[in-house]
Amino acid sequence: MRKVITTLTLLLFILVIPASAEEEYDFKSDEFKEIGSQFMCTCGCGQDQFECNMQGCGINAAFKTEVKEMLDKGSTKEEIKEYFINIYGEEILTAPEKKGFSLTAWILPFVVLGAAGIGIVFIIRKWVAGYKDESFLTEERTEAEKLEDEIVKSMIDEERKKYF
Amino acid sequence: MHLIGNLSIYLALGLSIYAFIIFILGIYKQDQRFIDSGKAASLAVFILATISMLILFTALGTSQLQFEYVSAYISTDLPLVYKLSALWAGNAGSLLLWTFFLTMYTTMVVYSRKMKNNPMTPYVAAIMLANTIFFYLILGFVAKPFVLLDEVPFEGRGLNPMLQDPGMLIHPVTLYLGYVGLAVPFAFSIAALIIKSVDTFWLRITRRWTIIAWMFLTLGNVIGGYWAYKELGWGGYWAWDPVENASFMPWLTVTAYLHSVMIQERKNMLKIWNISLIILSYALTLFGTFLVRSGVLTSVHAFGDSNLGAYFLIFMAFAVIFSLYVLMSRYHLLKKDSGQFESFFSKESSFLINNLILVGGTFAVFWGTIFPLVSEAVRGTKVTVGIPFFNTVMSPILLALIFIMAVCPLIAWQRSTAKNLRDNFLFPALASLLVIGLLAGLGIRAAYPVIAYGIISFMVFTHVVEFYRGVKARRKVTKEAIPVALYWLMIKNRRRFGGYIVHIGIALIAIGIVGSNFDNETMQTIPKGGTIKIEDYELEYEYIAQRTEGINDIVYANIKVFKNGQNLGYIQPERIFYGNWEQPSTEVAIQGTFREDLYVVLSAWEKDERATFVVKVKPLVKLIWIGSYVLVIGAIFAIWSGKYGNITPRYTGPQRKVS
Repeated sequence: MRKVITTLTLLLFILVIPASAEEEYDFKSDEFKEIGSQFMCTCGCGQDQFECNMQGCGINAAFKTEVKEMLDKGSTKEEIKEYFINIYGEEILTAPEKKGFSLTAWILPFVVLGAAGIGIVFIIRKWVAGYKDESFLTEERTEAEKLEDEIVKSMIDEERKKYF
Repeated sequence: MHLIGNLSIYLALGLSIYAFIIFILGIYKQDQRFIDSGKAASLAVFILATISMLILFTALGTSQLQFEYVSAYISTDLPLVYKLSALWAGNAGSLLLWTFFLTMYTTMVVYSRKMKNNPMTPYVAAIMLANTIFFYLILGFVAKPFVLLDEVPFEGRGLNPMLQDPGMLIHPVTLYLGYVGLAVPFAFSIAALIIKSVDTFWLRITRRWTIIAWMFLTLGNVIGGYWAYKELGWGGYWAWDPVENASFMPWLTVTAYLHSVMIQERKNMLKIWNISLIILSYALTLFGTFLVRSGVLTSVHAFGDSNLGAYFLIFMAFAVIFSLYVLMSRYHLLKKDSGQFESFFSKESSFLINNLILVGGTFAVFWGTIFPLVSEAVRGTKVTVGIPFFNTVMSPILLALIFIMAVCPLIAWQRSTAKNLRDNFLFPALASLLVIGLLAGLGIRAAYPVIAYGIISFMVFTHVVEFYRGVKARRKVTKEAIPVALYWLMIKNRRRFGGYIVHIGIALIAIGIVGSNFDNETMQTIPKGGTIKIEDYELEYEYIAQRTEGINDIVYANIKVFKNGQNLGYIQPERIFYGNWEQPSTEVAIQGTFREDLYVVLSAWEKDERATFVVKVKPLVKLIWIGSYVLVIGAIFAIWSGKYGNITPRYTGPQRKVS
C-alpha cells in the first residue's frame, strides 16, 4: 500500500511540476516572441499569434500550448515553422517566405527603386550636359564686363536690403 | 422626413447632371449665362447635400429606427455624440459625408474670389461635378441612406464599441477632408490641360488646397494610429493593414508632389511628372475607397460585404483613362521649353531623389498590399503580407528619405560647390556623429537604432544650421536682435520655414517610431496583492472590481504603480462588456512621460481574483503625437495668409469669353 501511495505521490509530483511551470511560463518572452510573431492568428483579430490577446480566443490559446509543447520537445524555430506551414499553408505566416515566387515580394520594390534611380541619374546627366552645351556658347567675360557685373550686383544688394 | 431625405438626394443628382451639362454647353457655346446657371446649380447641390446631412444627423440623433441606416448603426442608449458620429460608420452615411465635402469644395472653387473671371473655372467645376454625379449615383441607387424598414425594430443594432471613442469623431472626418481635398488640385490640373494653360498657374492656385488636404490626410492617419494604440491593446499604432496603406500611399505621392512643384515653379520643368503625380494621388484615394468597400483584401477596417468596391474600381479606371488621355493629347505642349540642370549637386537633383524615394516607397507599399492577390493569381497560393514585411522593406526606404531631408535644405539651388557642401555639412555631420557616440556610450549596441538616430539627428542639425544661417544673413543687414530676426525671417518666408517646421515634426515622429520598437513587455498571471516588475517599474495589483455604466459592465483592476520605488499613483486597465455587442473591448491604462509609456492591458482573470496582465514599456511613443502637432503647426504656418509674399497667382493662359 505504501508503495502505491509513494508511486502515486511521485506521479502527482511529476504531473504537477510541468503544469505549474506552464502557468508561470511567460508567453511574452523573447524566445516565444520570435516564434509566435511569425504566425498570424486566425481568430480574425488581424494580429499575430504572439500579440493576440482577444478574450476567449481559443485558437490563440491552443496555438501557444502547442508551440510550448514543441519547444519542450526540443523542436527548432524552423521545424515549428515548417510544421504550421504544412497544416495551414504559407498564408499562416505574417510575411511571405524569402524563397520561390514569394521572394519577388521582397525584391521587386528595391529593383524598381534601383532601376528608377539609375534612370534619374541618366536624366540629370542629360539635363546637366544640355546646360553645359549652352553655357559653352557664352563667351568669357572681359574685365570691363566683370566690373559692370559687380556694379549691378551691388545695386541689386542695395535694393534687396529694402525688403528686409 | 425620409421623403425630404430621398428628394434631396435625387434632386441633387438631377441638378449635378444639369450643372455638368450646362457647364459643358456654356464652354461649347461660350455663353456666360449657361455658366452662371451652372454655378447656381452647384450651389444648390451643396445646399441639398447639407440638407441630406442634416436629415441623417437628425434621424440618428433622435433614434428614428424606422430608417434602415439608423437601426443598423445605433442603439437608443448610445450617447448623442456617438449617435451623430454613426453618420460615417456605414457605407451610405460615409459616402454622403464624402459627397457633402465634395459639393462644399466645388462651391468654394466656383465662387472663389481668386477664380473670378478665370476661364478655367467652368472646366474645374465640370470635372468636380463629374465626381459628384458618380457619388450621387451611388447614393441614389446603391448605398441609399434614407431607406425605410418595413417594420420598426424595438432597438437598433448599436455602434461597434471600437468606434465609440473620440478618435471616431475625428479620424474619418479628417481622412475624408484629405481624400476629397485632393479632388481640387486634380480638377485644376486636368482643367489646365484641357484649356491648354500649361504654366504654373494651376499648381500655384491649388498650393493651399493641396497642403490642407495633405495636412488632413496626415492628421487622419495619425489620429487613426493614436486610436489603435489606445483602444486595441496590442501596443502598436500602425499595422500596415491594406486600408491603412491605402491612405498612406496618397500621402506619400502628395508629399512628393509638394516638393516637385518647386522645380516646376523655378525651372518650368517636370510638368508631366507633376500632373502625373496629382492624377496618381487622386486615383490612389479612389483605390483606397475601393479596398475599404470591396472586401477584396482581408482588413480590419472593412465596411462589410458590398459590391460598392466594383463601382469605385470602374470609376477609378474611368478617371485614370480620361486623365491620361488628356495628358497625352497635351503632351506636345508640356514637352516644350523644358529647362536644364546646371549641376549634378543641386537642390533640383535632391528633389528628384526625394521624389524617387517617395514614389518608390509608394510602389513598395502598393506591391506589398496587392501581393496576396498577385500570389493567388500566379501560384494559386494565398500569402499574408503583414507587419514584418513592411517594417523590413520600408525602414531603409524611409531612413533614406530622412537622409535626403537632411541634405536637401543645405544644398543650393542651381549649383553647390564642394566648399559650399563642406561648410554647410561640417557641423551637422560632426554633431550627429557625436549623437551616435553618445548612444553607443549609453550602451545601445544594435545597429539599426544607432544608424537611424544618427540620420535623424543629422536631419535635425541641418535644419538648425538652416535657421542659423537665415538669422545670421538677416542680422548682417538689419542688425536686429536674434529673436526678432528669427521672427521676421520666418514670417517673410512662410512657405520655406513652414516646410522646415514640418520636417522637424517628421523628425520627432521618426524618433518616436524608432524608439517605440525597443519596447519591453511581459505577460504575467498574479494573485491579488501580487506584483509585476518590468524595467524600473513595479506594479502592485490591489484588487479587481466591476462597475456598471448604462447597459455596459466594466471590469477593472486597480494597480498601484511605482517607479524606482517612487509612488506614481494608480492606473486602471479595463475590459468593457457591452449590453448590445458580443465582443468585449479593451481599455488600456497608459501612464506616459516623454521618455516612455507604461502600457497595461487587463488580459484575463480567474474566480480566485488572480489576473493576467500584459505590461509593456514603450519608449518615446509620445514623440509621435507631439511630432504630429508640430507637423500640423508647420503646415498651417506655411499656408497662413500674411501680408508678405502672399501674392495671388495671375492667370496668363488662354482667354475665353466665359469664366
